[in-house]
Amino acid sequence: MSTAALSNPFKAEFDPNSQEFSLAGVVRPRSADEIAASISMLREAIDGVRGTFYINVKRLVQMNNTAFHAFARVLLDACRRRSDLRFVVVTSSVVGWTERMFGHLNKIEPQVTVEVYDSKFYPGQSFVEDTSFIPILRTQTKMTWRHERTILPRHGMRPGISMADICCGIGDFAMLVRKEFQPARIVALDHSKASLAYARDVASGFGITDIEYTYGDASEMLLEDNQFDFVTCRHSLQIFNQPDVLLKELYRICKPGGRVYITNEKNSHCLGEPRSKSIQWTYNEVAKLFSHFEMDVELGPKSRRYLADAGFDDIRVESFMVTNLDGDPQDFADIITAWENVYAGEMAVKRGDSREFIERFRQGFRDHIFAALHPKGYAGWPIWAASGRKPS
Amino acid sequence: MAVAEQERAEAPFEPLLQFEMEMGTFLSDWQHCDQLSTFMARMISHNRADPVRHSNFFSSALNELLEVSFRGASADGQIGCAVFRQGSTERVRLTFPCPPGQRQFYREAVSKTRRGNAYARYLDAISTDFAPSREAVLLDLAINFDAEIHLDESDPPSITLVVDLPLEGIVS
Ligand SMILES: C[S@@+](CC[C@H](N)C(=O)[O-])C[C@H]1O[C@@H](n2cnc3c(N)ncnc32)[C@H](O)[C@@H]1O
Repeated sequence: MSTAALSNPFKAEFDPNSQEFSLAGVVRPRSADEIAASISMLREAIDGVRGTFYINVKRLVQMNNTAFHAFARVLLDACRRRSDLRFVVVTSSVVGWTERMFGHLNKIEPQVTVEVYDSKFYPGQSFVEDTSFIPILRTQTKMTWRHERTILPRHGMRPGISMADICCGIGDFAMLVRKEFQPARIVALDHSKASLAYARDVASGFGITDIEYTYGDASEMLLEDNQFDFVTCRHSLQIFNQPDVLLKELYRICKPGGRVYITNEKNSHCLGEPRSKSIQWTYNEVAKLFSHFEMDVELGPKSRRYLADAGFDDIRVESFMVTNLDGDPQDFADIITAWENVYAGEMAVKRGDSREFIERFRQGFRDHIFAALHPKGYAGWPIWAASGRKPS
Repeated sequence: MAVAEQERAEAPFEPLLQFEMEMGTFLSDWQHCDQLSTFMARMISHNRADPVRHSNFFSSALNELLEVSFRGASADGQIGCAVFRQGSTERVRLTFPCPPGQRQFYREAVSKTRRGNAYARYLDAISTDFAPSREAVLLDLAINFDAEIHLDESDPPSITLVVDLPLEGIVS
């Protein structure tokens, strides 16, 4: 029990460049004296700024009334002294009470406003949180699972462990893992309420109540440090514009000696025969399209470097290819159709591509499908599975 | 339909978890409030729709209650805390020894959480007090956690704060 208190230490920091004062962790002092240093840091920080002062509480996990009153008091006093300043409290949509509590300050001093920091934190978010992604995710997981069920044990998956699947999407992977490996605990986190609702529905349809689906932001999770033997994050590092930030969080919640397992693609290496040239052209363009939206779908082979830079050791990397021969070729074709719809139908349009470009772009997907369904054809989608150990 | 509604209204609160502790032991370390609230919250939240966030919310509320009893109770006797559930609501019953001179204080503080001017009082407490009073803490629970608070005085010298927290509805 005592580790719970230690695992989320309280931190107060001020960054003069962004004029942002941030509070993180658990702060439950008996009296304001215990946080006197942070209180004066806040007071001094306010004295040195102009314009807008930010108070970032996105990573504030717990704060008792004693601390809230003390910090609120400094802000309210400052409002009275400095009518030239605006105060913006930045909360996260994940920790609901911060928005409520800090929201009251606006009723007392209108100079203080609360902003809920949410969907805009990385550029491609609106595409991937779209519910039209749900059917693709289903079929994708079905096809990757054939490979991953044998790969996972080589990366530390075993029965009885405590695991977390971060960016779990619609939760299929958690369900499959639960059945195959019987972990003692599974937490599955995602930032799409629609996907989570779907996941909970599917689970309850099967009478499954022991997967802990939770709404959260993978780059600032409520989950405590050093909790999980195995942390998975599949096909998601590649859609963050700052994969290193996300990896840091995965590292943080992993137990020392535990492992973090990630899968990523290298989209330009999708292939097919016949019509390989057109297919290759299109997937090279897919990579460029994603990078326009600051996502790196070429990340797969970079996994080793990312894991090493994040501080992991005993890094293991392998790759596998999902192909049209894995099962029903129509499944493969369905995935490609869904890609075509989102990549050509939405993302390219959003980038402002010409009609000619989009037509040629679509053709490569159609040719990939043609290869997948051709009686002598071969179509592939390569994936890199990698894991690293958090040093103990 | 009327019957169904009546049944729902009368559906019992089911016990989930409880602890009892010597008051002296409880008061020996301030961290007990944090540790107990974190632990209890995690235990009772596992089968809520979003266990992680439910637990975070519940821990916030329970910690404030434990802090109230930490600050106001006498060292003799026992502190007891029991959590019940009915539908989307958790009920906390927190029992602790209350010095006779403080009973009236609790009666008033609790009844103020239900008055029309509760919000104004709460704002006033934030803008004027450097440290929150126990009364402000109860107002915080009523306002930020939609808590309904009652007092049970049937077992003197202890009193029991009965706090209904409809957190499942707030969390999801
Ligand atoms: C490409 S999908 C992968 C889903 C799943 N892991 C799979 O393999 O099917 C990316 C997922 O990341 C989720 N996501 C995006 N931003 C997130 C964030 N900040 N925190 C948590 N999840 C996020 C999306 O909602 C989406 O479900």
